[in-house]
Amino acid sequence: MEEKIKILSLNNITKNFPGTRALDNVSFDLYAGEIHCLVGENGAGKSTLIKILSGAEKPDQGEIVLFGKSYRQLTTRQAIDLKIATIYQDVDLVDSLTVADNIFLGVELRDRFGKVDTQKQERIAQEIMNKLNIHIDPRLLVEELSPAQKQILQLIKALHREARILVMDEPTSSLGIEETKALLELVRNLAAQGIGIIYISHYLQEVTQIGDRITVLKDGKTVSTYHKSQFTIEQLIRDMVGREAALFYHKEQVQIGDVGLKVENYSRKGLVKNVSFDVRKGEIFGLGGMVGSGRTELVNLIFGVDKRDSGELYLDGKRITPNSPRQAIQNGVCLITEDRKGSGIFPIRSVKENMALVHNEQKRSWFIRLPREKQIVGNIVDALKIQLASIEQDINSLSGGNQQKSILGRWLLTQADVFIFDEPTKGVDIGSKEEIYKIMTDLCRQQKCIIMISSDMPELISMSDRIGVMRDGELVAIINARETSEEELLRVYLGYHNSKEAGRKNGQVSTDSN
Amino acid sequence: MDKSLQTQTKLKSSSRPSLWRGIVENQWFLLLIVVFIISLITGYVNPRYFMQQNLFNILEQISVLGLVAAGATILIISGNFDISVGSMIGLSACIMSILINQGLNEFLVGVIGVLVCVVCSTLNGVLSVAFRTPSFIISLAMTGVYHGIALAITEGVIQTIYGKFEFIASTRLFGFFPLLFFISILGYLFVHFILKYTQIGRRIFAIGNNPRAAFLAGISVPLNTILFFFLNGILVGMASVLILSRLGAALPSTGAGLELRAIGAVVIGGVPITGGRGNVLGTFLGVLLMGVISNSLNMMRVNPYFQEVAYGLLIIFAVAISSIRYRWLGSK
Repeated sequence: MEEKIKILSLNNITKNFPGTRALDNVSFDLYAGEIHCLVGENGAGKSTLIKILSGAEKPDQGEIVLFGKSYRQLTTRQAIDLKIATIYQDVDLVDSLTVADNIFLGVELRDRFGKVDTQKQERIAQEIMNKLNIHIDPRLLVEELSPAQKQILQLIKALHREARILVMDEPTSSLGIEETKALLELVRNLAAQGIGIIYISHYLQEVTQIGDRITVLKDGKTVSTYHKSQFTIEQLIRDMVGREAALFYHKEQVQIGDVGLKVENYSRKGLVKNVSFDVRKGEIFGLGGMVGSGRTELVNLIFGVDKRDSGELYLDGKRITPNSPRQAIQNGVCLITEDRKGSGIFPIRSVKENMALVHNEQKRSWFIRLPREKQIVGNIVDALKIQLASIEQDINSLSGGNQQKSILGRWLLTQADVFIFDEPTKGVDIGSKEEIYKIMTDLCRQQKCIIMISSDMPELISMSDRIGVMRDGELVAIINARETSEEELLRVYLGYHNSKEAGRKNGQVSTDSN
Repeated sequence: MDKSLQTQTKLKSSSRPSLWRGIVENQWFLLLIVVFIISLITGYVNPRYFMQQNLFNILEQISVLGLVAAGATILIISGNFDISVGSMIGLSACIMSILINQGLNEFLVGVIGVLVCVVCSTLNGVLSVAFRTPSFIISLAMTGVYHGIALAITEGVIQTIYGKFEFIASTRLFGFFPLLFFISILGYLFVHFILKYTQIGRRIFAIGNNPRAAFLAGISVPLNTILFFFLNGILVGMASVLILSRLGAALPSTGAGLELRAIGAVVIGGVPITGGRGNVLGTFLGVLLMGVISNSLNMMRVNPYFQEVAYGLLIIFAVAISSIRYRWLGSK
């Protein structure tokens, strides 16, 4: 066997975010010419790890050894200079330029007059592709390419820049079977040329096909690293789950009533496929699935944020299908979004305004009664134990947990009947987390209908009554939360339940039908 | 965990000297000091500055700008711009002059003048919303349209109204207080009331700060944006009546440059150019500062061309202050 050169090792990396430890003493290494796969649940720390490698995040502790040199942290510039290329799902190519232009972007070839030498660029691009047996016309505009071709183009671009380490984050999630095959072939080809590849995917079948080694991350820790043919898919799934009981919240049982909310045949082309379910009063209906499975897209359709192709919503038997958030709110439905900063808070407005906004909107009055408003907000701030100096302070001066509680307060004030939570405890400290759970339990006691998206499995299992699992835009199963385990749930997420067959296939059929 | 975080930030900010904090946090305080200092210097060089006649002159001179800036305050806080207000005023003033010369009732003419601006401004809002284009671009384009119409109907000839509208500009309440400035104050109060006590005010801040979050909170961003432009139109319309009354004649270029000065005053008053924050007191002081500087330079017999330079530097100065402020306060 040829000698292996270690090109990367991450030693004892730790990274904290407010309220969570994203990486806890993680070590990881990579040899030249190796494909090292990284698997783990949502939030296991995969993205943080690659962000540290691309210079987007700085580790709190630990050492990065690249090509024999040690670094405390990397800048994005250093990462580029060291020839580390990261390829994300959301492709970063310039749509309005040609294939060749994209390959040479920033390192354009010039002719004698200093003009970009398009012809030469196209010729060289063609040569590279011929060598790799790829057939894409270098003169095509990138916007005319398929998602698979774009992924391939990104690889070529990295190759042209003489990348020595290639990080691929879910490269096949939008590709079909044939395209995936071609891409995997190309990845193997690149590895054979001596490039070290870190490959992240939640399609375990793929990982087992191309990985030389596989590392499983869970809750920011490395659980195991296997060499090729030392592992089974069973083993991987077992490694990805399994937590101490302490992480599970003990939710008080609440009387569950009749069906309150009915979601019927919601669809949006390519994202959500014919989803139906109902939620009973006092019930928390959890929505699980891997990131990108269509959960957020589904609740956005229900709340009227995006245009749906089909779907009707009923509350207490009455048709209320909203076409806009405004209509949804008028009909007693509310949505607490995942992206608190981008779509939840008004960062430079006061806590008071942030909380009272929707409540004020519901009144038919043109004027705001300031003393009354102050009193209402003051009451709910006390009730939710939001820690602040004054309700007049800017909301972005609060901690994440208190911001989230303020947003919750905003919607509690509206007296809605249906609460949709999208990752309610993301970026929230443990204390606030528990209080948010208590508030949700209270809502159940008031016989509200609750839908909760969560990527945090213990949270999903302990808070939900039933869990709907989304995969590739479809609601593939509804599971009783009390009779399930993390392991079983993850199998359903990935499509390895019932049969040993790849869940990939299920997804494929529906992708083709678009 | 939460608590320790909060106390940390508190400690951090309270370690700044308190006078500096006051100045940096309250732009209006700083503005007031600057107005005061400039007045002292000018009064020292030319004692006529402090004569009652001159002080009321200043107030009269800033009345038109004040109304335009009050409207711009609404728009800029909501994340919008209307840079066609100058040419809108020109168009409205020309139309009013022509109508007056045809013998129409003065009051009716005034109403029509306001309506012209309301229609123009609302149109800017509608176009911006309909084509999902920043209002800055739309109003830039419409500047030419309104100016062109004014040129076409007047054929570029000055329209004198022979003292018809003069009573507004010449009236002194209680024998000394300029009516022009009183109207301008009404404009500020109107905007202050909207921002502070109404639903629309909350929407102005919400949409300006985070339009996505506003949409998800059930606020119709397009409809409200049009409404903001409508309100702006009312104020600009009043400004066009005042300016015609002061000048006694109209040209298509009447009011040119007001839009930039108004935006400047709003920025000096502490509204971030990205919107979401601000109040009308700041705008008033911004307008006052511009008036005081302009008058001081006259009093000190500085070449009038340098006034433009002074305005420019003033805006840079104001922006520098807010930038420092946000670096200090925003670093938590």
